[in-house]
Amino acid sequence: MSQYASLLIALPLFGAFFIPILKRISKSAVMPFLVLVTLIQTGIAAWVFNEVYITGKPIIIMAGGFRPPIGINLYIGHFAALFVLVIAVTSLLMTIFSFKAVSVEPKDKYAMLFLLLMLGATGMISTGDIFNLFVFMEITAISAYALTAYNKTGEASEAALKYIVLGGIGSSFFLVGVALIYGSLGTLNMAHIAQLAHLVNPTVAKAGLALLIFGLAVEAEQFPLNAWAPDAYQEAPHPVTAMFSAFVVKASLYAMGRVIYILSAVEGWSSILRLLIILGTLTVIIGEMSALRQNNVKRMFAYSSIAQVGLIAVGLALGTESGVSASVFHMFNHAIVKALMFLAVGYVAVELGGTEINKFEGLGKRMPVSAFAITVGAISIIGIPLFNVFWSKVQLILAALNAQYTWMVALILGASLVEATYYIRLIHTIWFKGEGEKVKESSVLALVMLLLVALIIVIGIYPEPFWNVMQKAGSDIFNVAQYIKNVPLMGVSP
Amino acid sequence: MNPYYFASIALILIGFYAVLAKRNVLKMLVGLSIMETGVNLLLISVGYVSGRSAPILSEGITSDKAVDPIPQALVLTAIVIGVATTAMALSVVINLYEKYKTLNVEEIRRLRG
Repeated sequence: MSQYASLLIALPLFGAFFIPILKRISKSAVMPFLVLVTLIQTGIAAWVFNEVYITGKPIIIMAGGFRPPIGINLYIGHFAALFVLVIAVTSLLMTIFSFKAVSVEPKDKYAMLFLLLMLGATGMISTGDIFNLFVFMEITAISAYALTAYNKTGEASEAALKYIVLGGIGSSFFLVGVALIYGSLGTLNMAHIAQLAHLVNPTVAKAGLALLIFGLAVEAEQFPLNAWAPDAYQEAPHPVTAMFSAFVVKASLYAMGRVIYILSAVEGWSSILRLLIILGTLTVIIGEMSALRQNNVKRMFAYSSIAQVGLIAVGLALGTESGVSASVFHMFNHAIVKALMFLAVGYVAVELGGTEINKFEGLGKRMPVSAFAITVGAISIIGIPLFNVFWSKVQLILAALNAQYTWMVALILGASLVEATYYIRLIHTIWFKGEGEKVKESSVLALVMLLLVALIIVIGIYPEPFWNVMQKAGSDIFNVAQYIKNVPLMGVSP
Repeated sequence: MNPYYFASIALILIGFYAVLAKRNVLKMLVGLSIMETGVNLLLISVGYVSGRSAPILSEGITSDKAVDPIPQALVLTAIVIGVATTAMALSVVINLYEKYKTLNVEEIRRLRG
């Protein structure tokens, strides 16, 4: 029964490959078909989530019936079940938005790439094999390159080119890391690698792990490799920007956390954690500082998103269970908030033609619902009580104190202060500046935005049940011994 | 040191150098391709066992006389991915040249800040 969870991968693939045929039959059916596929995907993801959290046991899918480590296995544990649901729901909301926001032809190619992006991120989160992780990462990356360049303007091509060059370097380094790990352990299965990790030569393991992190850092937008991100966010179609920020980054961060913790038995492992802490800290500082001086609102949100991602990376690298759970909570909250904010900003850009800050003057009077959505999102990201991000930032601070990184508290609070500066400036521009006549807002999109706003406030008021889920998801990454025990390795012993 | 490892790392570094130092976008993409070739060569040499033949089980060749088949499957996948990335990049470059009339990366700078 639980093997049906493999539909999470199969369905978007069938959907994507059916689109060229569907286009021949009826061109206008492509976008409704996209909604249908993501709706079914959401249903399957909800069923999987329910299954995993009720039984408390992960779903292991063995490809072709070969047991790992011979065959590839998908591991849908607590984390994967949660984020597969987040991916499916975000994609569903963004397909609804795509009706309004994507007017450039050919729409059938857009729908195909959209499904492949969703497929890649789902695969990255659910895979249990390190080379399979690479393949899904490349599926995500190549569809992301194509979607970045989708608008066919010069700027979009420029952004896509930067992304492709950095992504190409990153994937090459990732593959070198895979080669090093395979060369020294002779296995590609993550559970098997974790089981054998203490046997590996520490120098090789450290070099391999550093290369894997370096390769994943491109997609995960960590400091030296994130130059593509603001450009791509600015020039990609609006729904795609929301998807990048809501789950493509999260999938890579999760993969980063997973590869780090499966090799935690390696000697000198903590130096890799320090490397990631330094990268994450620099990401936060540079992201916030750059966001401060932006005039383009979409670009400002992109830098803010990068800074939040840095905080998540720092939390993952604390090396404690509470740190990992806190960053999973932050991932979840950030996915909701950034999906809402990019949706609202994208909608404003579609109606008013552009995302420069002067277009936002008087937005409170012109498009009240979108303005309200942006305001709630901004207040939430700053970390004001009664909104969801407050709780994840509190958990991050507690985790940093527990792990004796006291200066990190200053980093998190300082970042929130800088965020407050530029977001309050934006909120001021929206509500207290300029005049303008009212634009009629689409009621469907208004409903979607209000739904996300409601979710933000519900988590803000009742964080407890969500925090329980996040703790389970976090221990899924952190507790490697349990992970090894869950995967039925075929007659191998260390 | 094993010459295969040396050559493949050298190829990766040459490609990396080209990506970093060249100004022409097409030369950067050539560098990227060289880098991917180096990585593929490294993967293949990881699975090489001296004195054994290709892992195709036919007459006279048993599983203990073949090299490691897994890296070959990995490389087959990686080559295809590399070609797809290059094709994607080249189509972007065509569009870039139409819009900017240059391939110099220092002049392709409309997005800043």
